[in-house]
Amino acid sequence: MRGAAHTLKYLLLAAALAYPLLPFRDVYVLHVLVLIMVYMVLAMGLNILPGFCGLLDLGFVGFYGIGAYTAGLLTIHYNMSFWLIVPLAVLNGALFGVLLGAPTLRLVGDYFAIVTFGFSELVVLFLTNEIWLTRGPLGIPGIAPISLDVTWLATLLGVDERWRYAFRGEVPYYYLAMVMVALVFLVMTRVEDSRLGRAWLAIREDPMAAASCGVNLFAYKVIAFAVSTGIGALAGAFLARWTLFISPDMFKFWESFLVLCMVVLGGLGNIRGALVGSAILIALGEVLRVALPKLGLPAETRFLAYGLIMVVIMRFRPHGLFTQVAESTMQSGLIKDLRARIAARRTA
Amino acid sequence: MDAILTVDGVSKRFGGLMALSDVSFAVERGAITGLIGPNGAGKTTMFNCVAGIYTPTDGRILFADGVGEPLNVAGRKPERMTALGVARTFQNIRLFSALTVLDNVRIARHCRTSANFFGSVLRTPSQRAEERAIIDAAMENLDFVGLGETALSPAASLSYGDQRRLEIARALATDPRLILLDEPAAGMNPRETEALVDLIHAILGRGVTVVLIEHDMKLVMRICKRLVVLDHGIKIADGSPQEVRANPDVIEAYLGKGAAHA
Ligand SMILES: Nc1ncnc2c1ncn2[C@@H]1O[C@H](COP(=O)(O)OP(=O)(O)OP(=O)(O)O)[C@@H](O)[C@H]1O
Ligand SMILES: [Mg+2]
Repeated sequence: MRGAAHTLKYLLLAAALAYPLLPFRDVYVLHVLVLIMVYMVLAMGLNILPGFCGLLDLGFVGFYGIGAYTAGLLTIHYNMSFWLIVPLAVLNGALFGVLLGAPTLRLVGDYFAIVTFGFSELVVLFLTNEIWLTRGPLGIPGIAPISLDVTWLATLLGVDERWRYAFRGEVPYYYLAMVMVALVFLVMTRVEDSRLGRAWLAIREDPMAAASCGVNLFAYKVIAFAVSTGIGALAGAFLARWTLFISPDMFKFWESFLVLCMVVLGGLGNIRGALVGSAILIALGEVLRVALPKLGLPAETRFLAYGLIMVVIMRFRPHGLFTQVAESTMQSGLIKDLRARIAARRTA
Repeated sequence: MDAILTVDGVSKRFGGLMALSDVSFAVERGAITGLIGPNGAGKTTMFNCVAGIYTPTDGRILFADGVGEPLNVAGRKPERMTALGVARTFQNIRLFSALTVLDNVRIARHCRTSANFFGSVLRTPSQRAEERAIIDAAMENLDFVGLGETALSPAASLSYGDQRRLEIARALATDPRLILLDEPAAGMNPRETEALVDLIHAILGRGVTVVLIEHDMKLVMRICKRLVVLDHGIKIADGSPQEVRANPDVIEAYLGKGAAHA
C-alpha cells in the first residue's frame, strides 16, 4: 500500500516533468498548471499562520500584491533582473509583514483576523489610488518576461557569445514554477521539523503552555508572519513576470479567501494538504468557469461552489483531507532511528 | 533557611476580587513544600504569579538560583521565568495534544537551544547536533517519568495519569531548579499516586526543589516538609505538617466554623 503510493507519487512527478515536452501538450493546460503552482506557493506560505500558529490571517493577498507590484515596478522602471527582484520582493513582503505584525500580533483571535483583512483592503486602496506610483486601476502592462543571462559563464569559459535566454510561452515558466514549489516545499518541511516549527505548533496547540516551555509568543508570531508574507510576495513576484500585467483587482479579498480554502481543504498545518488543496480548487475553478456559462449561469457563481465545498468539508472532514500535523518530523532520519531504538528496547 | 523562592507581600486582584492578599512565605531549597487550601483559595493564582502568567498587583517575588543574588522576578514573562529555572505543570492538563509525546517534551528544550530559521533551513552541522541533543534530552526525561516507550505515540492517546506524568517530563526538560506541580495526583488511581510519590522524590533527588498544590491531605502530610495554607487569598498558616494540622484556623477553613472546637 505504502509502496504503491510511493510509486504513484514518482509517476505523477515524472508525468509532470515530461508533459511540456510531449507532442500533445496544450498551452491552456500548461497555463492552468502554472497557476496551480503559484497557488501552491501561496497556500504553503499562508499555511504557516492558521496551520502552524493557529492565527487566522484574512489578508494574505495583500502581501501577494506587494510582491507583484514590487516586481512589476522594479522591472518597468529599472529593468531589473528577475533573479535580483526575487530576494528584494521577498524582503519587501517580509518587511511589510513585520510592520503589520509587530503592532497587531498582540491582538487575539478575531481581532487579529479583522486587522489583517483591513490591511489587505488598504493595499488594494493604495494600489488603486496612488496613481503616480501604480497607475491606479489601469494597472501595469508591458512587464518584461523573465530572462536568464549567463553570459558571465560564457566569458568564464572563454566563449565570446551572449548566452541569454528569454522566457517565451508557458514552458519555461512551468519549469521555473516547479523549481519554486520544490524550494518552498523544502524550506517548509525543514522548518516544520525544527526548533522553529515546533515553537509554532506549540503556539497553535496551547499558547500558555508554549510560553511556559520558554517560547516567546510574540517574537515567534512575528517570525511566522515575516516568513509567511515573504513567501506570499515571492508568488507575487513570479506572477508579475509571468502574466506581464498586474492590476489592483487581481489582489482583492476573494484571493485571500480562496487560498485559505485551499489550506483548510488540504488540512490545516499539513504541507502536502496545501499542495493538494491548491490543485483541487484551481482545477475546479477552471472547470466551473467553462461549465457554468453553458448552464446559463454567470461564471461568478463558482464562488458559490467554493462555499459549498467548504461546507461539505466542514461537515464530513472537519480537519481537511490530510490531518497529520508535523508530518515531515515523523519522516526525519533522527525519528526513524529513535523508532528503531524503541522497538529494540521493547523486544529486549 | 536557604530559600530558593521568597514570596513577599504578594497580592493579586481580579476586578473586585482579591485572589491573593498580602501573602508571604518562603520555599526551602531542596525540599518539598505543599501549598494547600480549599477550592478557590488562590493556590493556582499564586503559581501563575510565580511562573509569570500573572503580574502580581502588589508585592515581591524573590528567586535565588543559588549562584547570584536573589532577583525580584514579579512580573517577568513566563518564558523568562522558564529560562531562569522555574517550571510548572497545569491543574487542567495543557498538553500539545495534536503532537507526539516526544514533541511535547522537545518543545520544552526551546529555552535551552538556539537554532533559528536559517539554521533550520540550511541544516547546518550545529543545528543537526542540537536536534540530536534535543532528542536525547527529551528521551532522558521521558524515561525518567517512565514514558520512554510511548515517545512516538500521540500525546492525546495517553491515559489521564500518563498525561500528568508527561506534563512533569515536559516541565523537567526545561532544566528547572524549581518545579511547581499543580494537583499532579488529580484523577490518578492509588497505584498511579504511589508511583507519583516515588517520582516526586526522584525529582528532588535531581536537585530540583518542588512546590506542590494538592487536595489529597494524606499525601501532602506524608511527603511535604513544610506547608503553606491559603484561604480566600489569605495565608492562614505556615509550618510543618504537624503544626499545620493542629492549627485551629486551618481546621476551620477546611471543615467550617465551629469545627475546631468540636
Ligand atoms: N483570570 C482570572 N480572572 C478572574 N478571576 C480569577 C482568575 N483566575 C482566578 N480567579 C479567581 O481567583 C480565585 C482563586 O482561584 P484559584 O484558581 O487560584 O484557586 P485555587 O486555590 O487554585 O482553587 P482550586 O483548588 O479549585 O484549583 C477564584 O475565586 C477564581 O475564580
Ligand atoms: Mg487551582
